[in-house]
Amino acid sequence: MPNIYQPNLMTIKKVINETPDTKTFHLVFQDEELQENFEFETGQFGEYSCFGAGESTFCIASSPTRKGHIECCFRKTGKVTNALFELSEGDTIGFRGPFGNTFPIEEWEGKNVIFVGGGIALPPLRSVIWNLLDLRDKYKDISIVYGARSVADLVYKQEIAEWEARDDVNMVKTVDPGGETDDWDGYVGFVPHILENDFKPDPENTVVVVCGPPIMIKFTFEALERLGFKQDQLITTLENRMKCGLGKCGRCNIGSTYVCIDGPVFKAAEIDLLPPEY
Amino acid sequence: MRTATLQKNDLDRVIDLLSQADYRVIAPQNQPRLDGPDSIDVAVFKEIQSGDSHNIGEGLSTTGIKPFLFPKDEPLFAYENRGKKVVLTEVSLDFPKTVILGVRPCDVASVSSLDAVFSDKNAGFNDELFTKRLEKTTFVSYSCTEPDVSCFCTSVGLAPDSDKGSDLHMTELPDGTLHVEVKTKAGEKIAAVIDALLSGDGDAVARQQAGVAAAEKITRLRDSAPILPWLQDLGNFGDEMWQRLGEKCLGCGACTFECPTCHCFDIVDENSGNKGYRVKFWDSCQFDHFTLHASGHNTRNSQFERYRNRFNCKFKIYEDVFGEKGCVGCGRCIRGCPVNLDITEYMAEVAHKAAIPNAMSADPDFE
Repeated sequence: MPNIYQPNLMTIKKVINETPDTKTFHLVFQDEELQENFEFETGQFGEYSCFGAGESTFCIASSPTRKGHIECCFRKTGKVTNALFELSEGDTIGFRGPFGNTFPIEEWEGKNVIFVGGGIALPPLRSVIWNLLDLRDKYKDISIVYGARSVADLVYKQEIAEWEARDDVNMVKTVDPGGETDDWDGYVGFVPHILENDFKPDPENTVVVVCGPPIMIKFTFEALERLGFKQDQLITTLENRMKCGLGKCGRCNIGSTYVCIDGPVFKAAEIDLLPPEY
Repeated sequence: MRTATLQKNDLDRVIDLLSQADYRVIAPQNQPRLDGPDSIDVAVFKEIQSGDSHNIGEGLSTTGIKPFLFPKDEPLFAYENRGKKVVLTEVSLDFPKTVILGVRPCDVASVSSLDAVFSDKNAGFNDELFTKRLEKTTFVSYSCTEPDVSCFCTSVGLAPDSDKGSDLHMTELPDGTLHVEVKTKAGEKIAAVIDALLSGDGDAVARQQAGVAAAEKITRLRDSAPILPWLQDLGNFGDEMWQRLGEKCLGCGACTFECPTCHCFDIVDENSGNKGYRVKFWDSCQFDHFTLHASGHNTRNSQFERYRNRFNCKFKIYEDVFGEKGCVGCGRCIRGCPVNLDITEYMAEVAHKAAIPNAMSADPDFE
């Protein structure tokens, strides 16, 4: 048995250019037995590696309801993501996972679910969005509020169009002021502002799943609380820097809470019990 | 279990017998700190051969035994990029049968802390690079008789003669003989190997007195009992103490590298052409890039926040998450700090604040 730090090999089956600096990979395990038996739940993450550059942490961006391959989506930012960005179909990468806890989707059955995401934070939500849409009867209204710095920075453009076209999804899209184009048909404004002043969701029987940079999570929770949402209706997924994903390397902790083991999915009430260090 | 007497000058024979019994023997030895004639010798743990000089029972080692369980750097596997394919080669988990001789009580007590992090007791993930080394390692500990001014083991529930984590424990008595106590089955094996050198039942009373006498030499005394409850009060996370005391920290990480329980590491690829190793190596929560996100956001953005994390790790996180001691009072972080940042100053402040609630209120400007 290889040690816990040795990844499984995966082949890149498909590359999608999401934005000028963001790509999606469709991945399958090279070991057929593992490919057959691999299971994960929505919200979990993995350690993806380009051999020679190193490992990076991304969520699994596809839904567990969609078998056959897993997907990751990443922006080129540092050494590893730049190296991954250069890879093409047929190339090999490493994967360790799945790690971490999951979105409590059973708890949301019979409720309205609102997804709020910013920029590169849509991939974690996209996994759970498709998971719910594939179990559509179990949930009431499903809404997606998504924004990015500019139109060019919106990821999953094709899927946004698909969600807009569905009559069982309420798609709200926005770009930051100055990021719009002439033919932009969404809102212009920051996500928490559009959420509070334009979308104005009703808290009754509703949960909100927020993903984005820490500052966006903070402002979005505050906006939702002003709209009457209670803490137990608010959920987020944190993305602290990680190396091992196994609770050992000491990097992702917020006080005594390890994001890799205890998270990445947290309820607002759980976040409130943490030291303000995330 | 068995107790006996060993002559101190038979320690050389102990090394001979253990080596003959196919143990790799690790012991504290003096080595020059610098090149050149003016260098002062320092004690470090390293592999010893029959006939080598050692300083078991003499002074305190500058570095502990952590590298023999959790090396500074080690390959996790080898990779080779072959066009679109990658070939991975596992590293060996076959480690040599080892005895660490002359380990001090604080250091041997730290082993269960590291084990709680790396073994499957932690979330079910077993780092066999650590646990398989540990399975092969026997600890022969040696009570301190001359603790130094930085030592504070008695403030964290240990003592200069503690045998926690030890397989075979030795205490030097005033008459120069060693009182030997076998603590585990692994220790019994060591006792069997050195049986010819052991005599009688030892002197339990003198051993007890030696421990008391050593503890009395410890001058750095702190009350650590109030620390955990004080840290668990989230309101104290914003206490003014953190910034005031932590301001002088340089973020060099010396304390973390010398600490027997610090376990943080990084994982990087050491690449050469189309192949290389993925390597795990010591990292430090005191470094500014340690928690830096790809976005530029840093969860512990200033140095005092990083020091606060370290103190919390030692006295709260280790207890909360791993159920073990995060600090064994070895004093290395005090000796090794270039700016005399002293963890026991924080311990004293916390005890003071806990005893007098609201004596120093939280900084209103703190966010």
